[in-house]
Amino acid sequence: MDGSVRLDEVVMRFGDFTAIEKTSLTIGSGEFFSFLGPSGCGKTTLLNIVSGFLVPSQGQVFIGEEPVAGVPVNRRPTAMIFQNLALFPLMTVFENIEFGLEVRGVGKKQRRETSERLLALVALEGSGPKQVTELSGGQKQRVAIARALAVEPRVLLLDEPLSALDLKLRQHMRAELKTIQRKTGITFIYITHDQGEALTMSDRVAVMSAGRIQQVADPMTLYRSPATGFVAAFVGENNRLESRLVDREGQRVRLDAGALGELAGSAGEDVSLGNGDRVALYVRPEHLKPVAADAAGPRLEGEIEAVHFEGASVMLETRLTASGEKLRVQLGHEVSRQYADSLTVGQRMTFGYDPADAVVLPDDGSAVVDETTGEMVDSRTAAGGAHVSSA
Amino acid sequence: MSSQRLLAFGLRFYVVVFFVYLFLPLLIMAAATFNDSRFPTVTPWDGTTLRWFGELAADGGMWQALGNSAIVAVGVLCLAVPIGIATALFLNTVSSRAKPFLYALILSPLLTPGVIIGISTLIFWRQFGVSGGIFLTVLGQATFIAAYVMLMVTARLQRFDRTMERAALDLGASQWQMFRRILLPYLKPAIYSAGVIAFLQSFENYNTTLFVVGYDTTLTVYIASKVRTGLTPAVNALGLILILVTVVLAIAYEVKRRREEAARSVKGV
Amino acid sequence: MFRQLSARFGGPLAVAILTLLGIWLIVMVTLPQLQMIEYSLKPNLLPAQIGGPEDRLTIANYATLFNNDIHRSIFFKTLWSSVLVTVLTLIVSYPLAWYLAKVATPRQAALCILLLIIPFWINEILRTYSWFIILAFRGPLNEVLMMLGLIDRPIRFLNGDAGVMVGMVYAYILFMVFPVYNAIESLDDNQVRAARDLGAGTVRTHRRIVIPHAKPGIATGCIMTFMLAAGSYAVPALLGSPGSRWFTQIIYNWFFEGGNWNQGAAYAFLLLVLCIGFMSLVMKIFKVGLGDIAK
Repeated sequence: MDGSVRLDEVVMRFGDFTAIEKTSLTIGSGEFFSFLGPSGCGKTTLLNIVSGFLVPSQGQVFIGEEPVAGVPVNRRPTAMIFQNLALFPLMTVFENIEFGLEVRGVGKKQRRETSERLLALVALEGSGPKQVTELSGGQKQRVAIARALAVEPRVLLLDEPLSALDLKLRQHMRAELKTIQRKTGITFIYITHDQGEALTMSDRVAVMSAGRIQQVADPMTLYRSPATGFVAAFVGENNRLESRLVDREGQRVRLDAGALGELAGSAGEDVSLGNGDRVALYVRPEHLKPVAADAAGPRLEGEIEAVHFEGASVMLETRLTASGEKLRVQLGHEVSRQYADSLTVGQRMTFGYDPADAVVLPDDGSAVVDETTGEMVDSRTAAGGAHVSSA
Repeated sequence: MSSQRLLAFGLRFYVVVFFVYLFLPLLIMAAATFNDSRFPTVTPWDGTTLRWFGELAADGGMWQALGNSAIVAVGVLCLAVPIGIATALFLNTVSSRAKPFLYALILSPLLTPGVIIGISTLIFWRQFGVSGGIFLTVLGQATFIAAYVMLMVTARLQRFDRTMERAALDLGASQWQMFRRILLPYLKPAIYSAGVIAFLQSFENYNTTLFVVGYDTTLTVYIASKVRTGLTPAVNALGLILILVTVVLAIAYEVKRRREEAARSVKGV
Repeated sequence: MFRQLSARFGGPLAVAILTLLGIWLIVMVTLPQLQMIEYSLKPNLLPAQIGGPEDRLTIANYATLFNNDIHRSIFFKTLWSSVLVTVLTLIVSYPLAWYLAKVATPRQAALCILLLIIPFWINEILRTYSWFIILAFRGPLNEVLMMLGLIDRPIRFLNGDAGVMVGMVYAYILFMVFPVYNAIESLDDNQVRAARDLGAGTVRTHRRIVIPHAKPGIATGCIMTFMLAAGSYAVPALLGSPGSRWFTQIIYNWFFEGGNWNQGAAYAFLLLVLCIGFMSLVMKIFKVGLGDIAK
């Protein structure tokens, strides 16, 4: 059965507010697809458009290549797992799972067979006669999944379903969800603000900000080659350094970073840049390594302001000597042991990186991370495009 | 410090006096049932008797009135409960500029003296040739009892998590199925409570009933007329029985309500 | 409105909801009231005269009240006595509500509330009747007072307004206790403690902290009590005498003894205006809205 979902120039407006800018997107049948973004970015709105709770202001939605405009919620081949799960508290586990079948007029015997099979799938055999109020958080989660699967949807929509669970359980359920998705072959559309969830489970991820899709890619591409400043800052951690383009040779780019001197990075083939353009260089903390002060390649000298031991790694907070900008450096186990004596506050160190790991994007001034709160600040809401480095 | 203590003692004393004030009249009325005196009183005590229960049982008018009260109460239940539920659903769903006005209109029967509801019902139906009787009594009582039902159902409806509705629709239920299987079962305790209250309100009503009851007689109207004409301790016997029934019902209702509340707080639903 | 309802409940249920609501608000609430007002503005005519030259709007029925000294004095007596009943009920209820809300332990409060609910559920007629027995000429109250030597001859309690008012306070007290209790209960204990801490005495704490907080509850209790008192028929009928008639009794007489429904409708409407006027006044004084009252 075709469980593909296609959005064709979908726009959603609430009064004067545009929740979703014109968006086109195709999600393949059987794909585990995530929408990742901060709260208020429009991802839940998109989910509600697919499920039929909202009618888009413009554009078309296709499920299995059939347009679903005018098809009400209860007729769509989708099933939703709600953030608060929305299990029916007055019913038993069986009754919850069988509800969708019951309202379709499926006989009692067949209903019970289905629910037994699904309870086995989510590893809850024997819990059928229990009241849902007797279940633990993780068990409720599984019942919600079984209930949604019972109606044999072509597309399963998951609205941050793990957010209520504690960390351990959340990580466990990630693996479980992925397994269930593989076993059933149903298209999963997953909404989350947690990049860990999106990156570990998904085949592809759409990063959203302010009602617009920033990038659609598999998790690795997203991480290695962010397409916009927002993605670079939101997915994983990044140091952002402003500079000007000196010249480029294929992917390799030479930069003039003012006081910081000459730096280098790489830009995607499709990123158009002209000599002298203002650009932003993104260097991930884990790509920085201590080097000799006169080593070849790009060099950044900083003074250590704080040292955080994080178990598998050590995170350094440094301030660049030349410009006063902040630079975060993550040292792996081996390296940190090697430099153990130098890792003290006030110590000056020089860091280098492989230009192939550092992404150069046009400096669109968009989306930066607020330094104090760690929250995303969008250029449209932040006054005049404040920069992390100038703070 | 000692003035504080005196005040605290005074308050406790006051509370005791208050409850004596609340119950003593009822106890005196109950005691008068057993006094072998032609007139209902406890002073002087002319000997203990149970004969007033016998006289009450032999009173055909009383049984007639009791039957009428029961018919009216059932009628009110059938009318006021659906109206109250519908109104609660309406208020919970609709947002409109007319809503404050409608809300005031919906509450108005609670703030209107019962006699006026009776009078306006009587006058309104006269043009259709309907005069006072059981039918108008049902209509008159239901007019304000529906508002009580609305308040009780609304209180529960406001705690309803509407994601349940969305989940039901999403799983393929029609709106009717959602209402039948999800919303109505959720509202059931409030509807039962409202039903009990509606029944009692109807049974006890006097002010509205007086104007619309016509030549029929409900139990309260019968008691009131007995007090004024032909008063004997048989009225006390009837009162005592009604009080006992009410007390048992009140306690059962309270116990049930508290048990549910306790269950809810344990489960955290 | 239909669109919102049918979006949530589907067409048939939306139709059912609006039908029930419409029947109630239009056929049971609004039209009868309007009809009553129209009646009050028409002269009392024989069936043959209806539609004839005399069938026209007039305020004669209202003028009756102003021309009839007895009715007028009963109207104002009813107003004044109902206010008095309301104030008395508030005074009697407030300490109890305070005790239940802030002094009693949860167990004590739960028991007291159950004890309050039981008489609340008992018929108004029966509660009034119990006072009829107590206040009777040869009843227990007179006996006790004579035994104590406070009086030498029994008093006719059932002969004036005093008996009626005692009965009303008793009959309607719970309509005051519960709203006031609910309002005080929602007051944060720390506010009271803070006031005490800052040196406020009992009176000042209540006047400045508790009573302002309990305003919506006090307003609700006063409105309900006044409405019940002014609209009471049972209590004055049982505990009063011909010399202490209540306005509702005059209205009743117009309908069922005087046979002049138009006149009765005018009086009934005046009673309604009285209650609405009192309600507006209380809501204004206490600065509360309708939303606070339906609690």
